[in-house]
Amino acid sequence: MSIFTALLSGLIFGLGLILSGMANPAKVLGFLDLAGNWDPSLMFVMGGAIGVASIGFAVAARRKVTPAGEPIKMPTARQIDRPLIVGALLFGIGWGLAGFCPGPALVALGMLEPKALVFVLAMLAGMGLFEWNSRRQIKSAT
Amino acid sequence: MAFIGGMLGAPLIYRLFIELPAIQIDAHYGVLIAAGLIVGVGTRFGSGCTSGHGVCGLSRRSPRSLVATITFMAAGFAAIYAVRHILIY
Repeated sequence: MSIFTALLSGLIFGLGLILSGMANPAKVLGFLDLAGNWDPSLMFVMGGAIGVASIGFAVAARRKVTPAGEPIKMPTARQIDRPLIVGALLFGIGWGLAGFCPGPALVALGMLEPKALVFVLAMLAGMGLFEWNSRRQIKSAT
Repeated sequence: MAFIGGMLGAPLIYRLFIELPAIQIDAHYGVLIAAGLIVGVGTRFGSGCTSGHGVCGLSRRSPRSLVATITFMAAGFAAIYAVRHILIY
């Protein structure tokens, strides 16, 4: 992906997250807290995003290159395995505890929120931990 | 990296046009660190997050993403339920 397209996509994505309230952990937790004063509005954000993205992915499925001429690569994994479930469980717990998922946390960091910085640093450490562990496993397997 | 740059810059651009909405982060620093760690490990291990599986994956009608989305939504509901209605902080 060219730098310009990536920058523009990130910008549009970020603007959408701010405008929709996804970048506000209190709002996200209001959505996740079914037993509290439940705020279902973010469901429509996700629904709307899927509606728009479906069109894009349907177009992408019929093409081999992007309008900018870059090759289109789609995920090829098919099995529903343990890493998928365990990873989604861990991610969901963290999301429910803090109200942050990776995208909105980065946007909140751009708003210069100290708490977002702490979350993002911990998240990067978590990703690093995963990398370190998978490299160690590859080493011990050979 | 440029994509991340765009996301970080989004609030700056947003502010040029309208006032940024206030955001509220209730979690304490300890909770944020723990949550950040498991979000980092979990998104790598499960190959995706709310946008990766939830938006992109579901838009592609990926069965893997459907399972992941149901799983992390359920875990999210359960986590905040435990915090707000069982542990109460």
